[in-house]
Amino acid sequence: MKTTLSGRRALAVAASVGAIALVLAGCARGETPPADGGETSGAVEPSPGITDTTLTLGISTPLTGGTAGPGNCTVDGAAAYFGTKNAEGGITFGDGKTREIEILKYDDEYNPEKSAANFQQMVADGVFAAGLGLGTPTNRSWREAAIDEGVPQVLVMTGDPIFSEREPGVMTLGLVPVYMQEGAAFGEALVADGQPHQVAVLYQNDDYGQGYVQGFKDSIADASQITIVKELSYEPSAQSLEGQMTELAATGADVLFHAVSVTPLAIADLQKAAALGWTPIWFLPSNTASPGGILTPAGVTADTYPGVYAAGFAEAAAAPPFAESPEGQAYFEAIAEYGSAGQDGKSFPHCVWSWIGAQILEQAFMKMTEPTRESFYEALTSITDFDAQFSFGPIDTTIDGSPAVQTVVLQKFNGAGYANVDVVG
Amino acid sequence: MSAVTAFLANRWVRLGVFGVVLVVLGVLPLIADPFTNQTIARIAVFAVAVLGLNIVMGYTGQVSLGQIFFVGVGAYCAAIPIRAWWGTDVYTWSIVIGLVLAIVVPGVIGLLVALAAARLRGLAIAMITIALPIIGVPLAKRFSDLTGGNEGLSVRRLPYGEGDAAGVGNPFAAPAGSGLANDQWQYYLVLLIAIIVFVLAYFLVRGRYGRAFAIVRENEAVAASMGISPYRYKVLSFTIAAVFGGIAGFLYIVALQYTSSETLSFGHSIELVIATIVGGAGSIVGSILGGAFYVLIPQITNALQLSDYTLVAQGVIILLVLFLLPGGLASLPRTIRRLARRRRGAHSVDAGDPAGSASVTTQHQVPTSKERNT
Repeated sequence: MKTTLSGRRALAVAASVGAIALVLAGCARGETPPADGGETSGAVEPSPGITDTTLTLGISTPLTGGTAGPGNCTVDGAAAYFGTKNAEGGITFGDGKTREIEILKYDDEYNPEKSAANFQQMVADGVFAAGLGLGTPTNRSWREAAIDEGVPQVLVMTGDPIFSEREPGVMTLGLVPVYMQEGAAFGEALVADGQPHQVAVLYQNDDYGQGYVQGFKDSIADASQITIVKELSYEPSAQSLEGQMTELAATGADVLFHAVSVTPLAIADLQKAAALGWTPIWFLPSNTASPGGILTPAGVTADTYPGVYAAGFAEAAAAPPFAESPEGQAYFEAIAEYGSAGQDGKSFPHCVWSWIGAQILEQAFMKMTEPTRESFYEALTSITDFDAQFSFGPIDTTIDGSPAVQTVVLQKFNGAGYANVDVVG
Repeated sequence: MSAVTAFLANRWVRLGVFGVVLVVLGVLPLIADPFTNQTIARIAVFAVAVLGLNIVMGYTGQVSLGQIFFVGVGAYCAAIPIRAWWGTDVYTWSIVIGLVLAIVVPGVIGLLVALAAARLRGLAIAMITIALPIIGVPLAKRFSDLTGGNEGLSVRRLPYGEGDAAGVGNPFAAPAGSGLANDQWQYYLVLLIAIIVFVLAYFLVRGRYGRAFAIVRENEAVAASMGISPYRYKVLSFTIAAVFGGIAGFLYIVALQYTSSETLSFGHSIELVIATIVGGAGSIVGSILGGAFYVLIPQITNALQLSDYTLVAQGVIILLVLFLLPGGLASLPRTIRRLARRRRGAHSVDAGDPAGSASVTTQHQVPTSKERNT
């Protein structure tokens, strides 16, 4: 009797479960019909994220956490630029329609898992194109997914050269010069000096540091008067580089190639060398060369070392001439109006980089003749001789393997800011 | 209230609820949009990682700050063979090999670490486990030929430019002929493995081992006096946590198809600990809620375009949970029941609710008489 009862109960459970399954299965997900219907022939089917009046741009970047400062800048520069343009009525596209640019921002906390999830969210939100985000792993994590989905991933702020490789069906493009270009700019200027130099190299043991060193070595390969006397590396999680600095100082090298990306380490190294009485010529990468953020806190003046050089590709918003120029004033006003709360636009160079990126996007918008991602990417990669505000050289996006901004200028620290130079010494 | 509790205590009703949940989970991806499926799959990934952490923290009472290390190692163990052999003769097997490695390698590492760490107590164990993510990131960067370093490793291969490519495509694309979209296929794969892990964990914590874990958590001296070796059970719980972490790593690859050294970083390990506490330490359902907390809060702040406030939102929720629901979100029904009982007790003398309280203690193996200090 008992077994029958439980058997009947089991049957009841199974029956109700089955009934629910049937009900749910009844409403299966409707597939979107393919867009080859007769009624749209002639006119091109617009891509997602673009209407006759708006275009939606997605930015996945670190907005919280340790990289939040530069990360917020990658949004604010573009938000300021397009905010100003929208207030003026929008941008006239190549197809004759005037559109406003909407920006959706997504926080990835510099976590590749979050940025990959953000891409899924961007697709669900229907963004037209994604880009301007900061970080190598955080952009790498959704590169293949973006290519598969046919979403342009453009003007990303990473020195990783893979984003600037041109292949059919791949819509990616980098914004900032690759690390190698910066290293090469210094190497070339050192060769141009003609004097013998002994170089000590300190680099971060990842794609960042190795990229700088590779570019530098390639550029001095034919110059026999320049020798690398010692190369030391460190892991990005290192808390102090005193050991490395002492060892390099002992070589007595007259040049220090300092491919260090961590702000506190860079400050400590600049102090350490002076304390050891070692006064080489310094090379600093663009993200640890800020006069206000690095050199002044380290107590470096124009006379501390024979020369402190950095490679740059955009004007520094912190330098006085920038704020005095009309373009600079317009930039600061736009940042104050459309940027996130507390953004001054000059603490991190990424705000200016993002502003430059927005100008390049505007060029592409003005050239694209159809409201499709393909047309946009084609327009974006056919820009030549465009003089963007705050950029040191013309923008050329047509070169395979090169990001949008290529002109890297070597600069020498003069006590307050940087001045462009051609030769070291 | 007691009628509801008694109804829920019925074995058939509970089996039925489990069945309904399974059916809903089984049918949902066919109806829902891709993003919903992807979101649920990601919740399942982190629910498994949190479940592992819960075994060691919630059930055995040992603080582990290294869980993300096992997730990261599991992800590498899955990604490396799949990437290397996808498209070769062993291509379908490469996924199986990846899964096996993602279980075995983190398990062995977890066992070795636990053999040393479990000799210590309390915060000393936490200090040892901190070391894992801290050495994990530089280690992954040092072996960048294998791991892809900072640039990471994608198991999707594009049809160009990667000369060493054996095969092209996405190993976790829906097989031709299945009639499923990729997001649906990945959803089913992740959910299937996650549900198996959860069922195993359910029986583990309800059985002999679960009782032993609970005694070790409450008092190691008492455990030893009862013939339960605290050392052995701590090692066991650590190893299980590591294995679950490794499986979560495999699922991470199924859901996202990418990993990098950044995945291993220490901050994410703390986020997992927080997810465990918010979801509910020592609770199976709490692990799912913890995974949902980990995935959904950033997603919601993104959707509201308030992502600058993600950390603030998480902080507020953590504080609210700590103050109002020390047992985590999973203890919400229990707290409501207790409040209701207290109110009823004020009105009538008949405050004792034998059926209700009995079901509470059977429902949760651990004693609920006093708030557990997690």
